Amino acid sequence: MKYLKEYRDPVLARKILDEIRRTVTRPWSIMEVCGGQTHSLVKNGIIDVLPSEITMIHGPGCPVCVTPIHLIDAAIDLAMRPNVILCSFGDMLRVPGSNQNLLEAKAQGADVRILYSPLEAVAIAKDNPTKEVVFFAVGFETTAPANALSLVHAKREGITNYSILASHVLVPPAIKAVINDPLSKIDGFLAAGHVCTIMGNGQYYPLASEYKVPIVVTGFEPIDVIQGILMVVKQLELGTHEVENQYSRIVREEGNKEARAIIEQVFEVSDQVWRGIGEIPSSG
Amino acid sequence: MKSASLEMLPTAEIGDYVLVHVGVAISKVDEEEAKKTFDYLREIGEVGELEDIDEYLPKTE
Repeated sequence: MKYLKEYRDPVLARKILDEIRRTVTRPWSIMEVCGGQTHSLVKNGIIDVLPSEITMIHGPGCPVCVTPIHLIDAAIDLAMRPNVILCSFGDMLRVPGSNQNLLEAKAQGADVRILYSPLEAVAIAKDNPTKEVVFFAVGFETTAPANALSLVHAKREGITNYSILASHVLVPPAIKAVINDPLSKIDGFLAAGHVCTIMGNGQYYPLASEYKVPIVVTGFEPIDVIQGILMVVKQLELGTHEVENQYSRIVREEGNKEARAIIEQVFEVSDQVWRGIGEIPSSG
Repeated sequence: MKSASLEMLPTAEIGDYVLVHVGVAISKVDEEEAKKTFDYLREIGEVGELEDIDEYLPKTE
């Protein structure tokens, strides 16, 4: 397939940056919603070569870093129990709890396992019928379907020693909370492409029109992020506030119906505490 | 080699490129849509100006 490495081409990146420079006439603050986009901005040096008029605001926080401290403590408590195998994604292990993190618990002998996929935890439960296997399930809307699928697999196979400690966060309520903060001066958003892969773009139309902010659903390669910024800047300069889809090679307007159905089957929406922010209504 | 669940992508076929997230395929990559970004860039590369580029931008439906 064509158009994979092309999204990392530095010459093309420079062309779009030139276009941003030609377009921008005044200062704008743009928030990229996903940490994956922040990573791309920093790792590829994009942040250093944007015109000085553009300020990128990183937030509102990735699912790992906003996981409330009491759930980190709960995960450590579970992990220290002799009959428990606690599994999670690797980046959860370094997040500090009240006294220690999961990596330190592991060093003290807790059975903590780093997995690539929650589906692997179901296999571990099957292989260890005398243990309770708990998957510490964090994520945005992107990851929630896989976490839900692990429970469906366990149920289908009659596995009763598998459970999850869930800490999912939803993006649109967080965007709303950020806009409503009186100190916030964000003019436009790069929405998280992989969240929209699941949820579609529908949730963003009311946000864009109610708060008069352009929202561009954006991918993660350097060209994606720079083009997303250009699309937001063009809208800001024109005074429009539409939802646009930069990441159309992946994101369908309606999202992924199968994935949404499994989220609805397994989880229900509730208020959620975001570490460092506080409680956001209906955001988890 | 890692395995990936296709349960969320029942229309996936052999030869498709898919986006896999934590062991689950969640979307097919659409090559036609991917091409649009580069049509757009080719245009601004040739013209070096703003005019007539909007039609090449990926559009929301």
